[in-house]
Amino acid sequence: MTALTADTLPTTARPLGRRISTIMLLQLTNPMTLVGWPLMILGFIYVLNLAIYSLISTATSGASAVGVNGGVGFIWVYTLVMAVQSVNQTFPLALGFGATRRDYLLGTGALFTLLSAGYAALIATLAMAERAVDYWGIGLRFFDTSPDFSWLELFLGTLLILLLFASIGAATASVYVRWKATGMYVFWAGLVILVVAAGFVLTWTDSWAAVGEFFVTAGVLGTLAWSLVITALSSLAAYLILRRATPTNT
Amino acid sequence: MTPAPESPAVQARGLTKRYGSLAAVDDATFTIAENAITGLLGRNGAGKTTLMRLITGQEFPTSGTVRLFGASPVENAAVLQHTCFISEAQRYPDEFRIKHVLAGAPRFFAHWDADFATELVGEFRLTPKQRIKKLSRGQRSAIGVIVGLASRAPLTIFDEPYLGLDAVARQIFYDRLLADYSENPRTVILSTHLIDEVSQLLEHALVIDAGRIVIDAPVEELRSSAATVSGTTEAVERFIAGREVAHREQLGGLLSATVAAMDDADRGAARTAGLEVGPVSLQQLIVRRTGGFTTPSTTTHEEATA
Repeated sequence: MTALTADTLPTTARPLGRRISTIMLLQLTNPMTLVGWPLMILGFIYVLNLAIYSLISTATSGASAVGVNGGVGFIWVYTLVMAVQSVNQTFPLALGFGATRRDYLLGTGALFTLLSAGYAALIATLAMAERAVDYWGIGLRFFDTSPDFSWLELFLGTLLILLLFASIGAATASVYVRWKATGMYVFWAGLVILVVAAGFVLTWTDSWAAVGEFFVTAGVLGTLAWSLVITALSSLAAYLILRRATPTNT
Repeated sequence: MTPAPESPAVQARGLTKRYGSLAAVDDATFTIAENAITGLLGRNGAGKTTLMRLITGQEFPTSGTVRLFGASPVENAAVLQHTCFISEAQRYPDEFRIKHVLAGAPRFFAHWDADFATELVGEFRLTPKQRIKKLSRGQRSAIGVIVGLASRAPLTIFDEPYLGLDAVARQIFYDRLLADYSENPRTVILSTHLIDEVSQLLEHALVIDAGRIVIDAPVEELRSSAATVSGTTEAVERFIAGREVAHREQLGGLLSATVAAMDDADRGAARTAGLEVGPVSLQQLIVRRTGGFTTPSTTTHEEATA
């Protein structure tokens, strides 16, 4: 066996695509974490809702519920949780295995974009299925949050929501990875101050009506499109914060 | 194969890392030879981990430079792909089982040996299905050892890899490291404070104390620079008068003393005086050189179980 000296070592990095897929596959090594559990929990919530809706429908002799169920919001929040855990738990591991921060971040970004697209496609498709069976005749609008939306509109809307939640999760986790508990205190305190200040300014300038009007004018998809600003800023923050972070394994 | 004058694996010049007023690594200038096992030795908090993080680009220097295989390691995929850094308390994703580590790691390491990894898992009495979260401290250390060895990374760094490992498991680690290293030469940095346990493995010792490199020498040279002399208390006392004594051990009327500087003439003189001249423990030497103290007792073993 030849010795691995600097003369014989490859001096160029592996192709970027290969490095990115390595990071993605590391996080998918146990597919339960990012795919298995969320799907199982979502399925469980759905079945539970189906049972309850049937029960109510029977008890009220065939009355049907009105409005959105809201249970699908679980996957929005869970996407945030997954992003937090991914960054917190795989960043130190990947760096120990010789990955650069940049490759880690690109890989994780690509992974969550792909996951979000997958979940969005699934939810939009299941919404179409719900319409096809007329919400089981008991008004269980679980996946179909907007009955006037096409598949594409539902897909895009869900994708934007999931990307928003993933990027906020990644940004929050990166603050923790870099600054630990101190970072969290400052971050949450700062966020609370920001929200209160925004509310104060809106009240002071009597602009609440204008805010409401903004959402009405923009519509659901328009508002979600605007969320891309927050998504982009959060992703950029996560990138910049982790680019200078040292993994500490604590 | 005899190593020709090789380009070093790691080269540091004036490397400094400060956290506020604390200099974790202070003006360190050294090189780490390729294809050798180097021990990075020092007390807790001496700066070992910070130094290794600087070498792998995980930490950013306050001043000075570090080169890894001739290039800056910071965010440099071309050189970092040749490294494997096993941290003392390496964390793994919560839902990982051992098999997930073994499945995720190979894509990072060009020389990964899957058979070797499987063999090691058995040798450490682990099974691939075990959940890492449920393993004991020592078992988790064993995973780090397995990944570090099977990665065959051209630069493999073990940061106190034995925490919680029992004596048998530590011996397995040392034996396997040495055997695999001789078949697949690579650069290994082993940070530890169990100096005597690993001294047989090490070719070179880099001792860091309070952030400063205090010893940078081949282990052989260190060992031969000092010696223990033993004999009757009276004879030994006569011989060591005026010499630098690192350590002394009294047993009844017999005294054994570690003398810091012993050249051939000194050894001859000691033998002529009817004293026995023996090798010295690397640990005692280093303890002495890192602000330790001359102690009449034997080396404590509490570290080994810490």
